[in-house]
Amino acid sequence: MNSIFKLFYRVYRTGTVLLHWSRRRFTPAGLCVVGGFIVTSSVGADIENTVIYQTFTLLSGLLILAAAFSWFFRGKFSITRSLPRFGTAGQPLRYRVAVKNLTARPQNGLALLENLHDPRPAFQEWLAFQNAEARRTPSFRVGKRRRSHPFRLATVKDAAVPPLPPRGEAEAHVELLPLRRGILRFTGATFARPDPFGLFRSFVTLTAMQTVLILPKRYPLPPIALPGAMKYQEGGVALAANIGRSEEFVSLRDYRRGDPVRHIHWRSWAKTGKPIVKEFEDEFFVRHALVLDTFTDDPRSELLEEAVSVAASFACTVLTQESLLDLLFVGAQSYCFTAGRGLGQADRMLEILASVRPCGDKSFQTLENLVLKHVAVVSGCVCIFMDWDEARQNFVKKLRALDVPVLVLVVTEFGEKIPDAGPMRDEPENFKVLEMGRIEEQLARWK
Amino acid sequence: MKTPPFLLGATLLFWGWQSDLLVAGAIMAVILESARFVSVRWDFSETEIRRIWNFCTLLSFTMAVYAFTSSEEGGNFMGLFQGAAAFHNATVTTVRTATAFLRWLPLIFFLGVAAQVFSVRDTMPLTAVSLWLRRRRNREIKSGKKITPVRDVNITYPYFMVCLFSAGIHANEGSESFFWGQCVLIIWALAPFRSRRFGAGAWALAVAVAVGIAFLSQRGVRELQRAIEGYNAQWMARFFHGPTTDPKQSMTAMGQIGRLKLSGKIVIRLWTENGESPPTYLREASYRGYNGARRSWFAGNPQRDFESVIAETNQTTFVLLPGKTNNASAKIACYLIGRSSESGNPSGLLPLPTGSGRLENLNAYGLQKNPEGAVLAEGPGLVIFDALYGPGATIDSPPENNFSTTNFDFSVPTNEIPALDRVISENQLLGRNEQQTLQNVYGFFQGKFTYSLWQGRDKLSRSNETALTRFLLFSRSGHCEYFATATVLLLRELKIPARYAVGYAVHEKSGKGYVARQRDAHSWCLVWNEKTKIWEDFDTTPGSWIEMEGKRASLWERFSDFLSWIGFEISKLKILWGQGKLREYIFWSLIPILIFLLYQIIFGQGRKRRQMRQNKNAEVFFWPGLDSEFYELEKKLAKHIPRQPGEPLSNWIERALTHTALTDLRTPLNELLRLHYRHRFDPAGLDAQERKHLTSEVRNCLAKVSRLSKL
Repeated sequence: MNSIFKLFYRVYRTGTVLLHWSRRRFTPAGLCVVGGFIVTSSVGADIENTVIYQTFTLLSGLLILAAAFSWFFRGKFSITRSLPRFGTAGQPLRYRVAVKNLTARPQNGLALLENLHDPRPAFQEWLAFQNAEARRTPSFRVGKRRRSHPFRLATVKDAAVPPLPPRGEAEAHVELLPLRRGILRFTGATFARPDPFGLFRSFVTLTAMQTVLILPKRYPLPPIALPGAMKYQEGGVALAANIGRSEEFVSLRDYRRGDPVRHIHWRSWAKTGKPIVKEFEDEFFVRHALVLDTFTDDPRSELLEEAVSVAASFACTVLTQESLLDLLFVGAQSYCFTAGRGLGQADRMLEILASVRPCGDKSFQTLENLVLKHVAVVSGCVCIFMDWDEARQNFVKKLRALDVPVLVLVVTEFGEKIPDAGPMRDEPENFKVLEMGRIEEQLARWK
Repeated sequence: MKTPPFLLGATLLFWGWQSDLLVAGAIMAVILESARFVSVRWDFSETEIRRIWNFCTLLSFTMAVYAFTSSEEGGNFMGLFQGAAAFHNATVTTVRTATAFLRWLPLIFFLGVAAQVFSVRDTMPLTAVSLWLRRRRNREIKSGKKITPVRDVNITYPYFMVCLFSAGIHANEGSESFFWGQCVLIIWALAPFRSRRFGAGAWALAVAVAVGIAFLSQRGVRELQRAIEGYNAQWMARFFHGPTTDPKQSMTAMGQIGRLKLSGKIVIRLWTENGESPPTYLREASYRGYNGARRSWFAGNPQRDFESVIAETNQTTFVLLPGKTNNASAKIACYLIGRSSESGNPSGLLPLPTGSGRLENLNAYGLQKNPEGAVLAEGPGLVIFDALYGPGATIDSPPENNFSTTNFDFSVPTNEIPALDRVISENQLLGRNEQQTLQNVYGFFQGKFTYSLWQGRDKLSRSNETALTRFLLFSRSGHCEYFATATVLLLRELKIPARYAVGYAVHEKSGKGYVARQRDAHSWCLVWNEKTKIWEDFDTTPGSWIEMEGKRASLWERFSDFLSWIGFEISKLKILWGQGKLREYIFWSLIPILIFLLYQIIFGQGRKRRQMRQNKNAEVFFWPGLDSEFYELEKKLAKHIPRQPGEPLSNWIERALTHTALTDLRTPLNELLRLHYRHRFDPAGLDAQERKHLTSEVRNCLAKVSRLSKL
């Protein structure tokens, strides 16, 4: 069976290479000519009943000549991209590219094509995706269709290069549409020159590596009162920086073993002859845990993408308030990142979320252990799940048994049956099911 | 992207010229190009564009229905309902059918492209064209999902390609007009895409080279195609058409070494009435002359060829033997797997029960019979008919009553005579009368011979003895051709007229009927009964042959039978399509839908406008304050002092009152405006007195304004 899949994988790789090559090499007019060439080659075989073969010969002549012209393009260029640090999935990213002509000949009518890192997965990842897709869209099911271009990271429009004088410079404007979060790697750029007919393009490619981090898509959230009250924070001032009631002096008391030396009140010690320390008000502030479910065996899970987007939306919203946010998830290992109140801003959290990968080799228990370890310091938990199975319901039950207020968000496929709230039945306002494709609307309507 | 000016017109003219539809092409060209000079544009909504597109699609379907039920050339619509002619056309050639349909494509999609050209939007939404996109969008709307934006497309370039393609769908008469015409049009179409990096001269040179390559290539392609087609055409034909029975000769497999391989493919299906037993044999042809050297049978006198059998007035009944009483009937379905050399239609010999006198419900284009009892039909690939048969006369010509060497019914090759005579004398086959002789011959073969499909090397002769001699004297085992040939020649040697017959043995029941497979192909002997003056079947092949053949059934036979049944049912549907009224019903049922769609396209907009007007009236009636007389005043005053779009009434009145001629109206106008606003927007509205006051004051002001000739 594996060998059959390997064969399919080869076909996939070859097919995508051909498609990529033809899309870049041929202009839209060229693709029409190629289409006409294919049609006429099949219909024109009957030269007695049709004269279509004559069109076939003309189209062949045009294509042959157009391809022959590609041999005569010599040029030397250099480029410098003015790339922003971040982009956002689904939002067009526009940037400038400074282009320099290194030859003594003017160059006109060129197009700049950005070369991105090959997004095609290795065999194992491809196989995992195919299996996940087969489970998601069972055979002969009309409702759900297979995802097209699941591995593509971004689409880049061809940028017209202004006329370049000999050894001159110009600026091209490139528009890129990131399709997925993560690191987008540029490997180089290609200068394309069409043939006289405008059908086929010849290339000069140069290496120019660069990266840009694509942040997850975010949804606007209305002001949400997250569950949970303020709680004593052991770190105190260190965590709170200068915000809130951090240095409120309360009283003096005798030194106890373990008290920090910097809290010793020297004057009182001198007066009384025994060490006296200052007592401060305990540090109370809101600290939320953002628990992200990453457990899926689909390496290109759309559900995970949406879950990450929802988490990113929460991170952006919560971190504008005066609170801490712990992001807890499991990837290659268990992670806990804290942000807020001077410990890092939303952009740091988004960077982390941009790098979240699906976890297919660990059980949900790992995340449960991680959260339960942290639960003592958090005011409340925001759980973003991709499923609402028994394991997750038990986890929520445990949190509630520990008196931790919980807000549960379950991201589901579009059109799936809304699951029963289970342990959250008594708090329906804290249990939300978000359908893919309607998440923005559902979050916007959240009261 | 839009096509360059006049390209579509020129292409339509070119299409009309090439397709012999010049008038239609010219009209369409004028209509499309007139859009450049006519400023009138239609504001089609997406629904209307979709309706137009649906019309085009349905029209193409109707045309396809028509084209595939009639193989008339494009432009001739009259042959559709002409009985037998339509029936004939319905099933003849697919090539002509397809070409006719493809030739009409510019006509079919003309309305769509005209709608775009004369539309204010200049493009066509993809949702109007694509059913899939439409479904997706409807689903998104229904589910409340975010609607995926869909592009609009300009269909002039696709239409250009369709026109050019259709222009090339005609027989190649050696003219080069199409080549040069398409060169001009394609270069014209590609001109807007040319790279500005290269000068016009370089571009023109490149075009000239490309056209030169194309010109030489198209000549080369033609030569190549001819060379390929000429190569062993006979072998190719054999490969594709498979074995068929030749009414003029039958080459036997006698003398071949190894096992005879015949497949289990079902070739004939037969049903009898009221569970009667089927005829034992279905004969396809009989032969009179035997050529020992070639081991072949020949029909006989080449001078007496096939003669036509005229159909009865219902066109489906053919009388083979006038006046014959037929007391049995069998429905037979068989494939005509040969091809007529004249018309190219499927043709083949009909397998008929012995004594068939009449064929009914046979939808053949033509039927012929020969003196050897072969009935050759030309028709659709599958024919299903009722064969009425009974004992008595057959269509075979009687034997000639002389024993000359030219009388094929008595002729025996000289090299076979010694063996035959030896067998006759050794086995005392000559009886007292003809009946006894036949019994002796039958007993001889049944007692001393065995059936075998295998001929081993040990049975090869060491001298120049014939295959038949070896069969009669040494091996005494063989397949039916040995038995039939030996029987015919023995009987002839015994002075009894005999002929060699080929066809199928019917013995296998299948469902409610019977089937005959390719391996049921059989040969036997026809013997002349001098008393009854008829040819009778005389089969000396041991009865075990059926059992032996049955043992060779493949494991896949049931599966292949199932496939054969599916193929048969599909062929039946085709026959029903071609012969029945179905296509007429479909054609006529599509016409009202087309008319309805056309009505919707033409009058739909007007109706909408009417509806909108009605709604407007309703609005006037229901909206509070819209009946204010102040509007009349505003209208009158606006003639002198135009009100800017979006300018509030109060500002406009204030601006108007700056004119000295209106100074007197300052107080009443401000008062009226206040009342008008209250009438319009105050939920409490005006009381009766105030309403009356508004009306009367407006009248006064109107009178004053009318008196102002010029402000």
